[in-house]
Amino acid sequence: MSSNSGTATADKDVKDRQKQAPMQTLRPRDALTREDCLELFKQLFLARYFDVRLIKEKKKGRLTGTLYSSHNQEAIIVGSLYGLRSNDWTSPIHRDMPGFFIKDMRAGWRNPNRMGMSIEEVCSQVWGKATSPGRARDNWSHIGSKAKHIIHSTSMLAGTIPAAAGVVFADRLNGGDAVVLTYNGEGSTAQGVFHEAINFAAVHKLPVITIIENNQWAFGTPTHLEYSLPDFARRADGYGIPGLIADGQDVFDVYDKVMTAVEHARSGNGPSIVECKTFRAYGHGDHDDTRAERYRPPEEVEAGRSRDPIAMCRKYLLEKGYLTKEEGAKYMAEGKDAGHAKDEDFPPEVVEYMNEGVEFAVKADLPKPEEGGMWVFYEGGNK
Amino acid sequence: MSAVATKPKQEGPTKTDYGTAIREAIFEEMESNSEMICLGEDIGILGGAFQITDGLQAKYGNNRVVDMPISEAAIIGTATGAALNGKTCMVELQFIDFISCGFDQIVNMLATYHYRTAGEVNMPVVMRGPAGAYGGGALYHSQMNEGWFAHSPGIKIICASTPYDAKGLMKAALRDGNPVISYEIKQLYKDSKKAEVLPTEDYIVPLGKAAIRREGTDVTLVSYGNPVHFCAQAADLLEEKGVSAEVIDLRTVIPMDEETVLNSVAKTSRLVVVNEAPMTCGIAGEVIARVCDKGFDLLDAPPIRVTRRDTPVPWVKPLESYVLPSVEDIVNAALRVVKF
Repeated sequence: MSSNSGTATADKDVKDRQKQAPMQTLRPRDALTREDCLELFKQLFLARYFDVRLIKEKKKGRLTGTLYSSHNQEAIIVGSLYGLRSNDWTSPIHRDMPGFFIKDMRAGWRNPNRMGMSIEEVCSQVWGKATSPGRARDNWSHIGSKAKHIIHSTSMLAGTIPAAAGVVFADRLNGGDAVVLTYNGEGSTAQGVFHEAINFAAVHKLPVITIIENNQWAFGTPTHLEYSLPDFARRADGYGIPGLIADGQDVFDVYDKVMTAVEHARSGNGPSIVECKTFRAYGHGDHDDTRAERYRPPEEVEAGRSRDPIAMCRKYLLEKGYLTKEEGAKYMAEGKDAGHAKDEDFPPEVVEYMNEGVEFAVKADLPKPEEGGMWVFYEGGNK
Repeated sequence: MSAVATKPKQEGPTKTDYGTAIREAIFEEMESNSEMICLGEDIGILGGAFQITDGLQAKYGNNRVVDMPISEAAIIGTATGAALNGKTCMVELQFIDFISCGFDQIVNMLATYHYRTAGEVNMPVVMRGPAGAYGGGALYHSQMNEGWFAHSPGIKIICASTPYDAKGLMKAALRDGNPVISYEIKQLYKDSKKAEVLPTEDYIVPLGKAAIRREGTDVTLVSYGNPVHFCAQAADLLEEKGVSAEVIDLRTVIPMDEETVLNSVAKTSRLVVVNEAPMTCGIAGEVIARVCDKGFDLLDAPPIRVTRRDTPVPWVKPLESYVLPSVEDIVNAALRVVKF
């Protein structure tokens, strides 16, 4: 069974696949400019810094609650979101927290009208403040925004895929051409609703792109106890839809595969599954960090962390000549956990952006207690 | 309103049965609300297992009337997503028993949506399906499982006992903007004896308002759905024994019309509550608890629940009858509280 042996094997799988079906000469990434590539690089730092900074804040005692790290999985969030149109929808989960503010970031990091959340909103949610989009009624990633086309996440993983199908079903009835990206760990693919929703989306050729963040571990269970395929993407064959495999450590490969699926969907050809092979750097949540060091073989963890998405992107940019040697030597955040990473390891605009969110959230008010009893029922009907 | 029961019988105007009343409600709402869609198993080409949506797809097309795969979770979840994006959704469950296959989507996704988004999103999704026993439907075609959902804040629950209410409640539900589950009594769908002349103009039966089906002074019988008719029969038998029973039809289970019940108990001082579902943690117990909370001093006798035994609904007649509440059970309970 190759599926529980980490990214080293995943890498081999990817290469085998690429041998069998070589990418077309023109890849979606080939249309990206130098500025696009540098922006992707910066967004990887931003996603990493969000994670690092929250751990530091918690260690300082300024933050409570469980953190679900996206460390080492940032290329999936950043690479999948970059090519979306503003009106496209996403359905993120707990490991995609930076995706809430990275969505539609091309419209300007601080543009209040962009179709993504502000860093102030996301930090307000982390700190459980009334300025959170969900007014801190549910924790961590359990927020969303109808206005910004982000489906509200819950703990019932895979449970939002049918809602994603419904959103684009309605959009298509209205004459729209929006697509939806749903994010899932490989663990939630064993849920019945995963099958039900993708089957329905396939029958109706709905533009639903199911991204599998295959980080090899569903909490404490390895993939070979979750499904019996060497590559999860082959599950797509059963629905009659494309199943693509991306190297989840490579932001450009994720971009290529997701954009291929997006164009397929937007042209009316229906859903795809995009399996992004990656590795969960730490525990399921930070409550699980110490245990995860025991239940996962150290050599697997070392191999899984060895292909840091920031380092891989840096290498690509140097090869392309988009970074000079001197520029490429700055901000060496890769391979450092929160205990070792310093603010100087990140571009200053990244640190500044996060500072704004954190300071806003720390000062913001808690919701009023009586809000706990509000909004059980909508009161505006039958008028 | 209770006016239905006392509506003067007329020659001429066509009477409408319970199933047709629901069908009319759906057609009329589809006509007046262009954002409404219908999702369900076999509702389009076939017109529904009970023909409630017969002709609907022919009239409104397969984009608005969708034959769904046998996937209750996906059906309810798709409706949730469509509602998130501005649609009003009618979901037909082929039998209300099958709603369990979509349980998580209802209680964790749909029911909580308005709450967890602090009011940003509301969910106009009406889930309706044939419910109830007394027809030999056995374990999986006989259920009344409203108690599961009464325990999940954010869901309204309706259960009509007459064609007038069936139409009016369905129209109100489709305009309410909340998740609503409608328990439709399948034994009444084609019951021509209970057919009624319905208003030709648009009307609704507001959610959360009970109806007094029969006035009385000695005991209050509270119910909803099929047992409302059993209560009416029991009231006739009680009258022969000199006991005057008031019959209240809740019509909406959640939110519950406590006021109408309490006003009646204030008059009768005695209470029997009947539900077709099992006893433990059921609606009958909830009605009694609320009366005890808010009107204990109104009572002259301990209230009694008349319900199904705490068993599944078995198939063959002797078994089914053994576990279900009967007219006789209601009469006996009423006599007990009256004689207390």
